[in-house]
Amino acid sequence: MYSIRNRISFSIIISMVVILLVMAFLLYFRVVEQVQNVFDQSIYDKAQALISLTELDEEGLEFDFAEDGVMPEYVDGPDLQYYQLWQTQQQELIRSPSLGDHSLPSDGVALGQHRLADLQLVDGRAGRLIEIGFMPRVEMEDDEDEPDDAYPRPVAQPITMVVARERESLDCTLGIVAWSIFALNALLIIVAVTLIWKLIGVGLAPLSRLAHQVGQIDESCLGVRIEHSGRPSKEIAPIERQLNHLLQRLQSAFEREKRFSSNVAHELRTPLSELRTLAEVGQMVDDDPQQIHAFFNDVGAVSAQMEKIVVTLLELTRSEAGLLCNDPEDIVLHTYCDSVWDQAINGSATDKLLVNEVPEDLVVHSDRDKLRIILSNLFTNAVCYSPDFARVGIRVSETGGRLALEVRNATTNLKPEDVLHMRDRFWRKDQAQDQGGHSGLGLTLVDALAHIMKMDIDFNLDEQGTLLVRISGLQPVAAAG
Amino acid sequence: MRLLLVEDSERLQRSLSVGLGTQGFAIDQAFDGEQALSFLAVNEYDAVVLDLMLPKLDGLSVLSRMRSQGNDCQVLILSANDQTEDRVRGLDLGADDYLVKPFAFDELVSRLRALDRRSSGVKNPLIEVEGIIIDSVSRQVSYQGQHIALTPHEYGLLEFLSTRRGRVYSHDQLIDKLYDANTYVSRNAVEAHVSSLRKRLKQSGAPPLVKTRRGFGYLVE
Repeated sequence: MYSIRNRISFSIIISMVVILLVMAFLLYFRVVEQVQNVFDQSIYDKAQALISLTELDEEGLEFDFAEDGVMPEYVDGPDLQYYQLWQTQQQELIRSPSLGDHSLPSDGVALGQHRLADLQLVDGRAGRLIEIGFMPRVEMEDDEDEPDDAYPRPVAQPITMVVARERESLDCTLGIVAWSIFALNALLIIVAVTLIWKLIGVGLAPLSRLAHQVGQIDESCLGVRIEHSGRPSKEIAPIERQLNHLLQRLQSAFEREKRFSSNVAHELRTPLSELRTLAEVGQMVDDDPQQIHAFFNDVGAVSAQMEKIVVTLLELTRSEAGLLCNDPEDIVLHTYCDSVWDQAINGSATDKLLVNEVPEDLVVHSDRDKLRIILSNLFTNAVCYSPDFARVGIRVSETGGRLALEVRNATTNLKPEDVLHMRDRFWRKDQAQDQGGHSGLGLTLVDALAHIMKMDIDFNLDEQGTLLVRISGLQPVAAAG
Repeated sequence: MRLLLVEDSERLQRSLSVGLGTQGFAIDQAFDGEQALSFLAVNEYDAVVLDLMLPKLDGLSVLSRMRSQGNDCQVLILSANDQTEDRVRGLDLGADDYLVKPFAFDELVSRLRALDRRSSGVKNPLIEVEGIIIDSVSRQVSYQGQHIALTPHEYGLLEFLSTRRGRVYSHDQLIDKLYDANTYVSRNAVEAHVSSLRKRLKQSGAPPLVKTRRGFGYLVE
C-alpha cells in the first residue's frame, strides 16, 4: 500500500529538484558567458591598446608599447602577459620579452577580424589569446619647412597580432560561481524537501484524522458518526458527509437485517418449541391414544404454519431478487374475487360476508396467481381482524384514468399510525403469537407482488375504523389491447 | 408444585400441561397477560412459567405488576427472544430464570424443580427424612434400599411436606399447592391421599412420616 503523502512529497520534490537543477545550470552558463565576455573584452581592449601604440612612419613600423617601462607586464613579473606580431605569417615583427624563444600560435585572421581561443602559456598556465588582423596607423611628421611630398608616404601592410594572458583568475571565478550555485541549490533543495514534507503532512492531517476515525468503526459501533475537528475543509467535508450518509444507510440496513433475522428466528422458535414439546411429551403419554392423536393434529398444524412462513419468505426473497415475473392473462374479475374469497375463508368465518360490487362483465389483464395471493391475503386479514358479522366489500373505482380494486372492511383495534407499518415484515398489531397463523409477512408479500405487477397498493383507515385497501393499476382488457 | 403457565400458543399450552402434569405439577393455564394477572390475584403459585409476547398485556408487564404487588413466587420466563438484552431485562425485572424457545422439556422440568428447591431452601434433590429417601429428580421414594411405590398425588404430598419440614399445612393449603384450579378436590380426598400414603409407608416398614395436628392440618417433622 502506498502513502499519498510520500507519493505527493516525492513527486513535488523530484519536480522541484529537476527545476532547481535546470535553473542552476542555466544560471551557471549565463554567468560563465558573462564573465568570459568581460574577460575577453579585457583582452580585446588590451590588444586594441597595443594596436593604438603601433604606428608606421617614414622610418617604418614603431612599437611604442615595447619601449622599456611602458608595459612591464610583457617583460616579467607575477602576472606575465604575451604578444607577438607578424607582417605576414612568415615575417615576425616583434614579440614580448616574456615569450623568450617561444612563439604564440597564429591561425591567421582577416583584416579587421579577431578570434579568441584558449591555449597553454609558455609557463605552463592556462591562458587565453586574441588574434587580430589590423592595419598599422600611419604617422607622418608635420614639418612646415618640408614640402608635403618631400618623403614618400609609406604603404601600410596588414599585421597580425596575438595577445595572450593567463586565464586562471577567470577559471577561479567561474569555479567559485559554480560552487556557490551548487551550494545554494543544495540548500534550497534541503529546505524545500523539509518544507514540502511538513506542509503536505499538515495539509493531509484532516485526511489522516478521517482515516483514523473510519478505522475505529466496525460492525459493533455503526451508530458512530464522523466528526470534523476544527474548520471543515472543502475537500474533506463532502467525504465526511458521504461517509456519514453511508454509515447511516449501513446502520439502517444492518439493523433491518438484524431485526429480520431476529424476527425470522422468533417466528420459527415458537412453532419449533411446540413441535419439540409435542414430540417429547408425546413419548410420555404413549399409552393415551386420544392424547397422541391430538398431538399429531397439533404437529400437522404447526408444520403447516411453518411451511406458510417459509413459503412466504421464499416468495419475498424471489420477488426481491427479481426472479418473479409478471404473467398477465384475461380474468373475469367478479367471479375471480368470489372464488378467491371461498378459498381464503376455506369454509370458516361463516359470520363474515363478502359484498362483491365488481361489475360482472369486467375483464382485466393481470397475473392470475399473483393477484390470487394478493386478494387472498387481504381477504384473510379482513376476516381475521374485523368484528363479528362484518361485511368485507370489494368494488372497482377509477381515479385519474387508473382502474383500482378496493377491499374495505371494519377493523377492531387498528389505529391510523398502524397503517404506516402494514408493509413492514413481521408487523402485527399484536406482536404476540397469532392464533390465526399470521406471521406478519402477508402484506409485505402483497406489496412486493403488486410492485412486480406494476400496481400500487394504498392503505387508508378512516375515523370509523374502516380499512380501505386500494390496488390501483389494474388493466381492463380493452385498454390492454 | 403448583404452576401458572402463561403462554398464548394453545398447542404449546396443551402439550406442556400434559407433560408437566405427568411430572406431578399442578397446572393452571393463562393465555394472555390479563388472564395471568387474574389467576395470580386469586391463587397462590409456587412458580409461574411466563411467555413474553402475550396478547393484551406482555409478559414483562405482567412480571413487573406481580413484583410491584408483592408477589414473590418463582418466575421462569419462557420466550423466543434469545438476545442478551431480553434476558437481562427479564431477570432485572424480577424473573428467577430464563429459558429460550425451543427448549428441551426435561430442562424445563429440571429448572422448575430447581426453582422449587430454591424457594423451599432445600438444595439437595435427594431428600432424606427419618431414613426415607425422596429422589425429587426421578420422583421415587425408597426406605432402606427398598422402593416404595406411590401414586403421583401421594408422591406430591410427601415431597411437598418433606421439603417444608416443621410447617403445618391445612387441607385447603394443600389443595391450593398440589392441585390446579380446574380439578375439584375435596377435604376428604386430601385425607384419603394422606391415609393412603401412610399405609404405603407402613407397608414398607418406614416410619409414619406425615403427622396430623388436629384442627390445623398435616406436617412432616
